[in-house]
Amino acid sequence: MRFLVVDDSSTMRRIIINTLHKLGHQDVVEAANGREGIDRVTEGPVDLIITDWNMPEMNGIEFIRSLRAMNGQQQVPVLMVTTNAAKDDIVEALRAGVNNYVVKPFTPDTIREKIDAVMAR
Amino acid sequence: MAPSATCADLRPALPMIETLRDCTHAVFATMVGTTLEARTPLGGDALRPRCNVVGTIGFGGSRSGLVVFYATVEAARHITQTLLALETAADPSQAEVADAIGEITNMIAGSFRTRMATDGDLWAISIPTVTMGSDFYITPLTDGRRTLLPFRMQDHELFVELVITTRTSRT
Repeated sequence: MRFLVVDDSSTMRRIIINTLHKLGHQDVVEAANGREGIDRVTEGPVDLIITDWNMPEMNGIEFIRSLRAMNGQQQVPVLMVTTNAAKDDIVEALRAGVNNYVVKPFTPDTIREKIDAVMAR
Repeated sequence: MAPSATCADLRPALPMIETLRDCTHAVFATMVGTTLEARTPLGGDALRPRCNVVGTIGFGGSRSGLVVFYATVEAARHITQTLLALETAADPSQAEVADAIGEITNMIAGSFRTRMATDGDLWAISIPTVTMGSDFYITPLTDGRRTLLPFRMQDHELFVELVITTRTSRT
């Protein structure tokens, strides 16, 4: 199972990738913004995407809208990991095509539960 | 560093200060695995923490201001090592420290924004800016109210500052 982690913070990418490794997921590719995320998806299939919201060049919402407009990417599960957790933020993310939401700060258990939830869909 | 304001000066902003303190505790407990020891908040402009790594995030909306995170280089390195799961002997690069402190500041300010939104305060927040160096201090160009929250993290002293702008525009 291949994961794509999209976040402009190298620290947050490392935290998420370390968490995925601890959960037994070793196949992870990464991108520093939505545009790079589109590039990674174009280079090869991914099974689950974990993305930040606030990023330069192409933010998480724009990334997901672009992703969902691509052939074969309507169903790939997307988790958004962000501090944007006001009710209106969550509604906007879900409308853009996010499948589930992780609010920073988070524990590894939260990541595992959300991955399980989106993969069970 | 001497307090220049009494506790009475903090009263109008006290719920916001308590919320910011709670958010800081939550970020460190969850992401750094550390319980912070909170000290008494200090109000006023004369407060100048002697710290070399400073993360700053601005917010604007129904209120505007800044959330500022201060750490010594040693504390910032410790936080970075923990976040990145580095061995204790591994010395993180300056870029890694800056990114880690930016992310800590982002999580504190972002959690604070979310908690305030539930009370009807809707804000947008800026991307974090991290300043590293020595012999400098941060002076926001605003006539806002400043409150400094001191914390103890093991042997390290940390500070989170809340600056609330009282004037909505500058001329």
